[in-house]
This record gives sequence, structure tokens and C-alpha cells, in this order.
Amino acid sequence: MKLFTGNKLAVTAKIIFVSISLALLGLLAQSAFASGEGLIAGFIALSMLALALVYFTKISIPMKFFLPGILFLIAFVVLPILYTLVMSGFQFKTGNYVDKPQALERIVADSYVPDDSGLTFDVIVGETAQGEPALLATDYMAGEYFLSTEDSLTPLDESQVTIDPDLGIAVETDGFTRLDPDTLAAQGEALAQLKFAGPGEYFLALEGFEVAIPLKPGLVYDEATDSFTQAQTGAKYVDNGRGNYANIEDPEDKLSPGWRSPIWLENYVSLVTDPKVREPFIGVFIWTMVFSILTVITQFSLGLLVALALDKPLRGRRFYRIIIILPYAVPSIMSILIWGGMFDTEFGAINALLGTKIAWFLDPNFARAAVIIVNLWLGFPYFYLISNGALQAIPAELSEAARIDGASNRQIFWQITLPLLLRILTPLLIASFAFNFNNFNLIFLLTGGGPRNDLDGEIAGATDILISYTYKIAFGSQVQDLGLASAISVVIFILVAAISLYGIRRSKVLEEFI
Amino acid sequence: MKWLRENLWRHGVAIFAVLFAAFPLYLVVVTSFASSGSLQLTSFIPNEISFVNYEKLFNDPTIPFMTWMWNSLIVAGSVAILSVIIGAASAFAFSRLKFKGKKLGLQTLLLIQMFPAILAIAAVYLIMEGIGNFAPEFGLGTQSGLILVYLGGAMGVNIWLLKGFVDSIPIEIDEAAKIDGASEMQTYWQIFIPLASPVLAVVTLLSFIGTFNEYILARLFLVDMDIRTVAVGLQQFVAGQYSENWGAFAAGSIIASVPIVLIFLSLQRYIVSGLAGGAVKG
Amino acid sequence: MKSKKIVGLAITLGLAASSLLGALPASANDKVITVWADESRGPNLLKTLGSVESQKGGEWVAGYKVKVVAFSSFDALKTAVDNVTKDGPDIIVGANDWVATGAQNGKLAPYTPSASVRRNFNPNNWFDLTYKGKIYGVPVDVNNVAMLVNTKLTGKRPATLGEMVDYYLKNKTSKGLKAGLCVAGGGMSWGAHSVLSALGGGAYPIRNAVVDTRQNPVPAAVATNIQNLFLDSKGASNGFFPASDTGCKDNFLAGKVPYAIIGNWEWKDYADKGFSMNNLMAVPGVRKGTFGAAFGSVSGAMLTSFAEKNGNDAAAKSLLSNFFASEKGQVAYQKFEQRPPANKAAAAKSSAAQKGFGGAAATASVPQIGAILNGSSGNPSYWDALPSFWNDVLVKKVAPGTAVAKLNEVFKKNIVAGMKTL
Repeated sequence: MKLFTGNKLAVTAKIIFVSISLALLGLLAQSAFASGEGLIAGFIALSMLALALVYFTKISIPMKFFLPGILFLIAFVVLPILYTLVMSGFQFKTGNYVDKPQALERIVADSYVPDDSGLTFDVIVGETAQGEPALLATDYMAGEYFLSTEDSLTPLDESQVTIDPDLGIAVETDGFTRLDPDTLAAQGEALAQLKFAGPGEYFLALEGFEVAIPLKPGLVYDEATDSFTQAQTGAKYVDNGRGNYANIEDPEDKLSPGWRSPIWLENYVSLVTDPKVREPFIGVFIWTMVFSILTVITQFSLGLLVALALDKPLRGRRFYRIIIILPYAVPSIMSILIWGGMFDTEFGAINALLGTKIAWFLDPNFARAAVIIVNLWLGFPYFYLISNGALQAIPAELSEAARIDGASNRQIFWQITLPLLLRILTPLLIASFAFNFNNFNLIFLLTGGGPRNDLDGEIAGATDILISYTYKIAFGSQVQDLGLASAISVVIFILVAAISLYGIRRSKVLEEFI
Repeated sequence: MKWLRENLWRHGVAIFAVLFAAFPLYLVVVTSFASSGSLQLTSFIPNEISFVNYEKLFNDPTIPFMTWMWNSLIVAGSVAILSVIIGAASAFAFSRLKFKGKKLGLQTLLLIQMFPAILAIAAVYLIMEGIGNFAPEFGLGTQSGLILVYLGGAMGVNIWLLKGFVDSIPIEIDEAAKIDGASEMQTYWQIFIPLASPVLAVVTLLSFIGTFNEYILARLFLVDMDIRTVAVGLQQFVAGQYSENWGAFAAGSIIASVPIVLIFLSLQRYIVSGLAGGAVKG
Repeated sequence: MKSKKIVGLAITLGLAASSLLGALPASANDKVITVWADESRGPNLLKTLGSVESQKGGEWVAGYKVKVVAFSSFDALKTAVDNVTKDGPDIIVGANDWVATGAQNGKLAPYTPSASVRRNFNPNNWFDLTYKGKIYGVPVDVNNVAMLVNTKLTGKRPATLGEMVDYYLKNKTSKGLKAGLCVAGGGMSWGAHSVLSALGGGAYPIRNAVVDTRQNPVPAAVATNIQNLFLDSKGASNGFFPASDTGCKDNFLAGKVPYAIIGNWEWKDYADKGFSMNNLMAVPGVRKGTFGAAFGSVSGAMLTSFAEKNGNDAAAKSLLSNFFASEKGQVAYQKFEQRPPANKAAAAKSSAAQKGFGGAAATASVPQIGAILNGSSGNPSYWDALPSFWNDVLVKKVAPGTAVAKLNEVFKKNIVAGMKTL
């Protein structure tokens, strides 16, 4: 008798499934390639290769189980991490945000300067009898009219034009046909690229479909030398190697926008040498460790205490349990915000309850306490649930045997139950530590990292953990420095990796688990 | 007397925990029934019972709350189920198969969880914008795109969690199967999956809750009103720069919590035993 | 078991296939201008302009429809704009404080308003949208705050800050007041400028509409005034002015706070509770007849550099002039927006509340100069420094003299740095 059935069917199904997946991925790779997303196309192609190798050969059996997970992990976790790593070598901050082609495009697009007086013309877009594009322009202030094509400017006097009584601008003249709205919509953008003849040294360009402005060249780009020359002053701007075109004479005179450019290890060096970066970093790192460890200890202690209390049949146990797991079920984004309101100094429920006037979020230590309390509330139900489960799993004989040997309840707990529990739960405690180490939502929504005394030049807030601090540097309101933030992320990662690996080596339980 | 000594502290601890757990939630309930739209922080006794906030959620055409609920259910549900399906296979391999680099793999997985991934927003945005160029159905502004991203993120946590749970299933069973001539795949599908189903259910639920709460990425991806999830919809009531509508927020939160609480309560025994199983090595 | 697997497979494949079909590009017939807006302006714009499907096209720009994308928060909008590389919007609508960063990062593109558009607005409004001499959009509506007095409590509008403090100290216990004056709208930095100003300080001294670099922004007199008005004899806060804005709105509405600084984007919340918008005023100063200046800034519709890439540059500029900046457009938008319109002709048609805010602004206001306020590298911004200052003097009992001197130094540095980039 064959115990394990369906081998053939399963294999057939597998082949069909994998083939179809490959075909679909192939289609995707193709269209990705066609739309110029070469990197993504390459990634999909590599995934296809890996899938085919793993599922059609016997190259590695474990890989058959891992591959789908690994592919997702690489695409949406590992690649972004690598991106962070790359960006940490860049000058990548406000003012140097886009890539060089985009910055160049922007500078070129803005390189024409309008007349200083702010002169503008109301125009009607149309064409001449010869079918050339033309603008019928009105200088509203001066009461002058003219017709402008790419080649010539023809002044018109009031008698030659029909003036719209409401708008006070010329709308018709001989030999000029106004474009109807549909044609204007279809051709307008192309027309907006044209340089119409303008007064003096200026040319006219459309600024919208109703207005034209006189422009003259300001900066002239020379592709051969990759430099800009200021048309009026003759100043020359060259790539300064740090993401800007800078004036040769005056390096501080830069063209905007700049682009992100490689500066290699500079962001890392500033972490060591710049006290304004280094000191908050160390402070935040210490608090992050303290916060994560305290969180795990307090959550676990209260959870365990409640689990111990409810370990025996007790009147009302079901009710207790329902209420106690509620914090776990309510969306945490909501409960964190509510707690934030409850800790308010003047109007909050906590002070009202205690009869105090503590400025919870304005004093570093109270703010830290508040963060721990809120996180305790959020997390103890989870630890209650797992401790409860673990307690039930500890064989009753153990404690009974101890009791027969004359051990007190207290001794049984400290010497038998707790060590066993810790052994069982260590992996989950570690997972919880890792989660809280990066518990962005809590800090971001509760204190925003504060309090922070800016007047004393503090850069990081008292409750800022590394991830919220990094977020502030990268996406904060003032100067955003994604390069530095990336470097900090990488350093954090190295530190944490070192600590965790050391911890794993030292801890027998974990060693066994892994 | 004996009863007192045995049980008094138990009730004491339980009552403390209940009060601690319930107090903020009580304020939420009071707020949701107040018409002022502001957070009721100090009125411990409700001074009115008004349903305007609830009516707003269900009747205001600009707040498609039930659509948001549905969206959350779809997104979090798909992520939870798919990530557990994919993650379970990896966890099984980590737990049961012997291969080179297993230790390294597990450690890497743990470390990846510790990477401060907030900057990844920029990279993820780039990737999804790229995908949107050739497969708009999976790009920015789509739930399916968000699901893909979540799947990547959920993988590490779930494999790590599942591995712990899976370790608890006695290895003797699959060893017996091996002796009977089962391949790894057969052991996985025909022995392991049925045995692990309670555990898988628990991790699915945990994963569901985690995804349900996420809003940082969701608010970037799900911009259009009728594809937003509840978390995005709710945070806009209070996290805006100009307005705080705590009443609607509280009412919405309560309604959003209901399905999770119900699942929790109905599966309570299951969850406890699943968690216990996960926590206890066989 | 088998059949289940096959069903699963079929479902997966079906999903994958249908998604591929859906991936076919939509028809590109309609020309559409895309507008991204934050959670406050977005929904109102959407109501004004209607969904793309409901438009017949050409309402505001011949041959074009307008697609409004309302983000769920300003943060989300900002992150999206920061990160988007190809599929960006043509126009962004939001607070003007984004102009400097957007321009520096090459995300915004300059726009030159025509003379007729330009003269419809107060010159300050254009200044708010200018970075390094270039204008990046058009003013849509005006953002400001004013002080609302609960005359049911106080009986009258106060003439000096001292009068308000006296009222608070006298009635604190009898009326169960939670605070005297608090900031309900705009936060402890933007919204609280009028309080700092009422005390005799400010982010920058303005003389004849230009920043005066020689004077101290926060003179020593501010310390004396804080000591006399906000602190008790032991140097602790007397409770008149809380250092945080949490709960201010609730308590004002509940009659527990007689004076509150409220934002003009949410005056309806107060009007609905029976507060008369005739009791809006600027925060009175220490001496009779002086008032604290609040920031006045504009919401801007800003042109992006994506417009050109999207092939919508001229159309987007037309939309800026024809809809966002025009009287007709602003009047239409006003049906849904609580802030008063920036366009002068449209403003003339605004409501009593909007006129109340306008009146307060006319009494005392100060332009919002991002280049100075946002701080220079290594120096805290105005936005971060002022809340810390309140915290120092009102909570931590730092001697007002010390705190004022520190704040003054920070502001002075920012003025020097900011003036260079103007």
C-alpha cells in the first residue's frame, strides 16, 4: 500500500503551475523592458531563471520551499535596504534631490529670464493667412497691439484690430485666424515651445494659452564642456563634483537645483567628526536600547502577572480576558493618539486622575515614562496571551513534584516556572525587541520624538528612537538630508547586527533555536 | 479565609489590568457618542449620547467608510493569507530540513527585521512607480501593488514567528513519514500542513492585525478616496494639519475594531492553544 | 486535497490573467491636467471642479479636463512629491511654506503671472510664493489666525493683555477656568506668533514692510512682560497661557477658556456652537492700542516641473490664471472653503467670519518669510525654537531673561542667513 498518494498528479500540477507562472513573468519582463524599466525587467528575468532551476531540477530541495519568500523579500526589503546603502554614499539632501539629467533639464528650462519690469502681453493664439502660427498680442498697460510670428513682429494700431469690450484686448485682425479651442488644445503645447518675435532683444513665449511673456537667454548651456555661461555677466558655471554647477570665480554661487552626487564616505565621516551629528546619535542609540529592553521587560512582566493570576478557574475570568485583550484588537494608531491626548498637561485625563499638573510631554523623563506606559498598554495583552499558553504547556507534574519536596509557591515560581517560561519564550521576546527597536508608529504618533530643546541646540528629542530620528533627518520639515539619514541607518544596522550576533552566540536558548 | 488568600490577589491583578486596559477605550466610546467632534479627555461621565458621528460615517457621501472597511479586509486579508502560505513553506524548511547556511539564513532574517527601514519608503516608491509604468494594475495607487509590498515586508516576521511555532510540532511524525517513503514535498503538504493549521491560523490573524494598522505606506499608495483602507481613512480625521475630528475618528475606530474583536473572541481558545503551541518546543 | 489545490491554482491564474488584461493602457484621448492637493484643500477642490468623469472638458482651459487627487494628509502629499520621478502632477495645491524646498529640489517650476492676474492680489501674497526672485504659483486663499473672545464669559472684548490676565486670575476658581488664553489653531509656533508679538517680540522686526536687521527680534522687554503677565512670584506659570495646544479647542468650546487663537480654516466649528464671529480680534498687546501680529500666508496652487514633462505646461499655466487665480474660480471654490479667498475681488464677497479674520489681520499681521523662518543649517528654525521657548519659560521655570536672550540669538542668526537668500 502506498501511503503517500498523488505523486504523478502533483508533479503534473507543479509543472503546469510553474510553467504558467514563468510565462506570465516572461510577459511582464517583456513589457517592463519595452517601457524602459530595464532593472525591473532584469530582476524578473533572474527570478524566472531561479524558478526554472529550482522547480525543474533537483538542485536544492530547501530552495523549493524558500524561493517564493526569498523573491518577495529581495524585491521589497533587501533591494530597498541596498538602495539605502547606496544613497548613504551620496550628497542627497534638500537642494540636491533629483538626479543630474533632471537637474540639468530644470536649469535649462529655467534658463531664460523675463523682463525685470514684469511686462506681459495678453494674447490670442492663431495663425496667419499663410498658416504660420501667430500671436495677436495686447500690451494692456501701454495700450499697444501687435501681431507676432516666429519671424516677424508687426505693430498694429487700434484701428486695425477688433477689441473685446469685456476683456479690453485685441481679438481679431486682418489676415489672422484665431485657433478654435479644440485645435488649441491639440497644438497648444507645441506652440508653447515656439519662440515668437518679441520686442528688442526679447522673444515672446506663451505662458499659458492666454498670456505671452518676453524672455531673453540667461544661462547658455554648452554640452561639450558641461558648463553654463551667464549671457549678461559672462560668469561661467561648471560641475563642482558635489552636485551643483558652481561659479568658477565664486564657488558659493551655485545654480539651482543641484543633483545628488557621490561623496563616498563623507556622510559616515561626519557621524564621527561632526559633534552636531555624533552626539545626538549616541544619545538616541542609548535611549533606543533602553526603550526596547524596558518595553519587553514591562510588557512581559505585566502579561505574565496577569496570566498567573488568571491561570486558575476564577469567577469572571472570561470577562477579564475579553477586556484585557481589547487593547490588542483596537487599531493601535487610534489608541496611541488617544493616549497622546490623555497625557496632556492642562486638559488630559491622566493629570485629572492623579490630581497633578505634570507636563508629560515637555519633560524628558516624564515623556519617556509616558512612552513606556503607553507601550505597556499596547503590548501586555500579547504577552498575557503567550504566557498563558506557555503556562498551560508546562507539565503540572514538575511543580507538583517540587511541592512534594517541600518547595513553597514562591520557590516553585522563581526556580521552576519562570526559568522554563523564559526558555520557551526567548525567541518571542527577541522578536518583540526587534519590533520595538523600530517601533516608529508609537514614537511618531505619541510624542513625535519630543521633547527637544531647540534653544539649547538639541537636535534629537528625548524620546526619539533611531528610526524616528532617522525619519526626521530624511523627511523632516527643514533641511532634509537623505544621504546622512541613510548613513545613520547603515551604522545602526551594523551596531544592531553586532549586538544581536553576540547575543545569539552567548544565549544558549537562541543558539538552539537558530 | 483560604479563598481570600488564594484568589484575592488574582482578582486584584485582574481588576487592575482590566481598568488599565479599558480606561482609554472608555474615553474613546464616550468621545464617539459626543456631538462636539472633539476628544473627550476629562469628562469621565458622558454628558450626552449622540449618534451624529456614527451617522456621519454611514451617511456622509464624502466618507465611504464601509468601502474603507471592505478595502482593509481585502488588503489585510490577502496579505495575511498569502504571506502565511509563502512563509509557512520557508518556516518548514528552516525547521525541518538540514542544509548548509540554515543558521546564517535565520540570522540574516532576524537582522533584516532590525534594519531601520523607514528610508525604504523612497526606494519602494521608485520600484512601484517603475512597475506602474508597464503594469499599472500593480503600480502606485493600487491595492494589488500595496499587497505586493506588504508581502515582502511581512515575510521576515512571519517566517521567524512561524519557525517558532513549527518547531513545536513533534518531529517524530515527519520522520515516520520519511521512513514510509514520503518526499519532502509530500511530508509538507500531507503531514505538516494539516498538523500546523491552528498555528497557521494564529499567525494569519497576527499578520492581519499588523497589516490592518499600517498607514504610512498605505497613505502613499492609496490616495483615491474609494480605495483607501480604514487606517488611512481614520488618520486623516485627526492627523491633518488643520482639523481634528475626534468624534468620527472614535466612532470609526470602534467599528473597525469590531471585526477583530469578534475574530479574537470566537477563536479565543484556538488562539491561546496556537500561541502556546508556538511557544513550546516539543 | 488534489481538487482543492487545482481550484486554488485556477483562482491564482485567473487573478494573474485578469490583472494583465487590466494592465492595458487606457485611451489617451482626454487631455487632463492633474492637480495634487492636501487633505484640507483637496476635497474642496474636488467638489468645486467635480470628478474627471463628470466634466465635459474645457470648463476652465479649452480642451482640458482637470483631475484632482486629494491626499489624506500633507505628509503623504509631500512624500509623494518628493519621491515621484515620472508620473508627477502638473499643479500642487497646499500651504505656501513648501515653495522654497520645492524650488530648491527642482520639483516646482517658475510661473510668471500676467499683469492682470498680478494686480488682483496683495503684493505680500506673491511674496509668499516667491523663491529667489521667481514666482512658483498663484495665491488661492489666505491662512491666518485670530483671537476669539468668549464674551458670554468676559462680557467684553479686552483692550490689553494685562486685562485678559486679570480676568483669568480673578475668575480662575469661581468659573473653573482651565486657562486664560490658549492656541486652538496653528500650533505653538505658527499660531502663537501673535502672542510673542503681543508681548513685544516677533520672528523678525518689520519696519516699512521690510525686515529690519538692526533691531532685536525678541527684545529684553519680552522677558519683563512674561514675568509680569504669565508667571507667578515664584517664576512658575500662573496658568494663563499653556505651553501646549492640546485640548484648547475643546475647552474653549466648553466655556472653560475665555480667549483662544483659532484658525480661519475651521471657524465654522465655533460658529456652529454659537460663538459670534464678531468677537474675532487681534491679540491685544501690553499697552492699549497695540496688538500682536499673526502670520498671514497663502495657500498656493504651485506649478510643478512635471507639467512640462507631461506635456501640460501651457495648459497648467492657463489653469492657474483662469481658475486658481481668477475671481470666478475663487468664488466657486469659496462655496466649499472656509478660508477667505486671496483674490481681492472675490474677497469682497466673503462672509462675516472671513471678514473678521481679515479685520484682525488688517490690525496686525506679519508676512511669513520662509527663508528666515525655516532656519539655516545648524541653527534651529523658528518653528522648532518657539515651542521650546514656551516650554522653557512656562514649564521648566527657566528665567525669562535667559530664555529670551537665547530665542533672540536664534532668530537673529536666522534673519542674517535668510536675508542672504532673499
